[in-house]
Amino acid sequence: MTALITLTGVNKYYADYHALRDINLTINEGEFFSLLGPSGCGKTTLLRTIAGFEMPSDGVVMIGGKDMAGVPANLRPTNMVFQSYAIFPHLTVAENVAFGLRKSKEIDKQTKAKMVAEALAMVGLDGYGKRAAHALSGGQRQRVALARALILKPKVLLLDEPLSALDKKMREQMQVELIRLQRQVGITFILVTHDQEEALVMSDRIAVMFEGEIGQLADPETLYRRPNSRRVAQFIGKMNMLDATVEVVDEVIDLTVRGLGSMQIEREQAPEGGQVGSAVVGIRPETLGILFEGETTERKLVDGVVDEVVYYGDMTYYDVRIEGVEQPLNIAMKNLIGRPVLEVGAKTQVIWDERSLVLLP
Amino acid sequence: MSLRIYAIAYLLFLYAPIILLPIFAFNDATIIAFPLSGFTTNWFAELATNKSLHAAVENSLFIAVITALLSTWLGLCAARAGAMHQFPLKAGIMGFIMLPLVLPEIIVAVSLLVVVVQVLELGMSNWTIIAAHVLICTPFCIAILNGAFQNLDPSLEEAAMDLGESRFSAFRLVTLPLVMPGIIASMLIAFTISLDEFIIAFFLSGSSPTMPVYIWGLLRFPASLPVVMALGTILVAMSIILLTIAELLRRRGMARAGVKDKGGFL
Amino acid sequence: MIVSPPFLYALLLMACPLLAIFLFSFWTQDFMTLDTSFTLDNYREIVEKPIYGALLQRSLYVSSCVTFVTVMLAFPVAYFVSFHVRPDRKSLWLFLITIPFWTSYLIRVFLWKVILGYNGVINTGLINVGLIDEPLTFILYNVNAVIITLAHAFAPFAILPIFVALEKIDRSLLEASQDLGESKFMTFLRVTLPLSMPGVVGAVLIVFIPTIGDYVTPELMGGAGGKLVANMIQTQFLALNNAPLGAALAIVAMLCVTVISVIFVLINRRWLKGRS
Repeated sequence: MTALITLTGVNKYYADYHALRDINLTINEGEFFSLLGPSGCGKTTLLRTIAGFEMPSDGVVMIGGKDMAGVPANLRPTNMVFQSYAIFPHLTVAENVAFGLRKSKEIDKQTKAKMVAEALAMVGLDGYGKRAAHALSGGQRQRVALARALILKPKVLLLDEPLSALDKKMREQMQVELIRLQRQVGITFILVTHDQEEALVMSDRIAVMFEGEIGQLADPETLYRRPNSRRVAQFIGKMNMLDATVEVVDEVIDLTVRGLGSMQIEREQAPEGGQVGSAVVGIRPETLGILFEGETTERKLVDGVVDEVVYYGDMTYYDVRIEGVEQPLNIAMKNLIGRPVLEVGAKTQVIWDERSLVLLP
Repeated sequence: MSLRIYAIAYLLFLYAPIILLPIFAFNDATIIAFPLSGFTTNWFAELATNKSLHAAVENSLFIAVITALLSTWLGLCAARAGAMHQFPLKAGIMGFIMLPLVLPEIIVAVSLLVVVVQVLELGMSNWTIIAAHVLICTPFCIAILNGAFQNLDPSLEEAAMDLGESRFSAFRLVTLPLVMPGIIASMLIAFTISLDEFIIAFFLSGSSPTMPVYIWGLLRFPASLPVVMALGTILVAMSIILLTIAELLRRRGMARAGVKDKGGFL
Repeated sequence: MIVSPPFLYALLLMACPLLAIFLFSFWTQDFMTLDTSFTLDNYREIVEKPIYGALLQRSLYVSSCVTFVTVMLAFPVAYFVSFHVRPDRKSLWLFLITIPFWTSYLIRVFLWKVILGYNGVINTGLINVGLIDEPLTFILYNVNAVIITLAHAFAPFAILPIFVALEKIDRSLLEASQDLGESKFMTFLRVTLPLSMPGVVGAVLIVFIPTIGDYVTPELMGGAGGKLVANMIQTQFLALNNAPLGAALAIVAMLCVTVISVIFVLINRRWLKGRS
């Protein structure tokens, strides 16, 4: 894999507001990369810094081995799909798509028309060229924005929350299409999103950002299974947190978890290494279970009382109180045949397994 | 329902003077009063031969055209800055620029009079009037152009730059065509205000009067009143035509930008 | 910086001249020669001679009446257009409302004279119908005539800000109020009216402040007893060649208007919070 974009020590200040804090990042060729974080975390600023709409206060942005200092957006090998799509309302669909070709004097008219038609076909909008831009639906605008950016064959396509304006069905459909499109054209996509599910579904790698800095940079599975901090763990999916005391850190880690007792876990279950002393362990709701009548398990059990039941159709989410722990455990159970939905107050047993724990500093 | 009747009555109140205007312009009597005596077009014919009126109209047109161009340019700068840029003290600076909207016109007139005559020791000319008219027209231009700019997605220009255009050509290819209807509407409004403005022009005009100053002179002579009515009729007709064009352009701009129409000028 | 041309223009042609007449008001003029030694004589004269006080008082009275009448008449129209006119017809209504405003001001004022005059439209109409025997005289050449004419001239200035404020009101707020048990009328009093106050305050200011500077309407409609402070400023500058006194009068008039406006805004500030 070859690096396409490298950011070294990038900082951005607005007056007294520190929007980007010492960002160091390498994005590879052909990668689907996501910047994920809550609103105001700096992900859009970072994207706009790569695009050239913001200049870093200090630090270096390199694209394709060239320093981008002082290079304005129009001269960078990047193209952007804007959150609002920014479709020019006074132009037709074809004129929008052809907008960036104006400067390419060496390409003749017929070739340009052919390129536009191909770009529209690629995003599934054959025959839409003559339509007025302001008459398009949200999903169609998004496709026009994609075609308009991709026709220029940029090295990097930047996508600023491109799916946030679409409804749920449309969003899921576009997620699949974006992945297909990225494979087809093979260029680097950088996606900004606040939707963790979207990032997990689409990306090769994800940088999770908080307050202007990168909290964790990893592939989706690592990010989900082995978050390196409480804030990453809580931002991505649901995570039960239990207080713990680490006793020995060696080949394996010895610790006592409140409510669950003493146990041993592997070193790789502590992404930050682990230190002797107080800590927190995280357990995903779907790695816990409830022992229903007639079912058996070889895994460990702890007694509990059902505190809350939320029925989702395919799943039921239980909050179960266990002794010695204030916060009830959140447990996700598939509604398989024969399984009843328990009632609040029911006594039950919680299934757990130390292999699913992650030790957080 | 009663509200509708009230609103229509109010419209009648607004239009009462304008409805009377053509009636007396075509009335064959020098006294402006009922009952009417007969139909004539003499008063219009008299307009055509009046040399000093023609000179005044020429003056006013010159002033109005220059005012329209300058105040629209200033309005364009302010509206763009207001819609697309952040800068310190923004609200204060924008408020300051809009202040002539509420400043009594006589204050504008006398303060400029003092500066021109006493401080700069210059004479009055069409340019002194233009200076003052640009000052009072700019807030109106800003108000109209603000509408045009607020309907504009700021990322449009960025998108054009992202697609390879320089800052200037992005403005020329994207922003300018989208706000063009607003620019024309703004020029028409400034033109209309300047053409009609009397309070300031009376203080600041030099040896050659503007049209309203000339009309003011005529109002003192009862014999010339029917001619004023005829002139007024033409002016009203022209204003209505210009304003209709401005309004149609504004609506077309809205439609072009793909936004829903939310109201009229200002 | 792109904002600088309009800013510099306003600075040079508004702020500097205002500063100039402020300085000017502390000087004196004897025919054509200007004495630039600092003096408060002009202000002393304004305070001591009763005519200036009376003119100022009458001007503020007329401006207040005009403002009150204009805003009261305008509110129902703005409300009607905002709440009872189909959305696609709204701009047509606003267009119709603004048109008379853009037509020659002088001629409009003159035509009010024709309407209200001794042989005017109203009097001949009423006599023909038989409601009166003698023409009414209280409607021309006095303060009433000035108020009617100005209320007409400033109508769109009052309607537009109120309309804009009414348009901004989220219609679901009105439904919420009715859902919580208020009648339509009480909903108007408790929701619509408070939320439209920014527009009303804007309308009041935009009518009240400029009317103090008008000398055309009082000149044509006011007769002997209907002259206002703006006429006096004009006379001092153009006829009596006493520009410093005129400047001092202008300063005093503007000060009065500003103080009243500021007090008005302060009284209404609770309605303006959180909105702009």
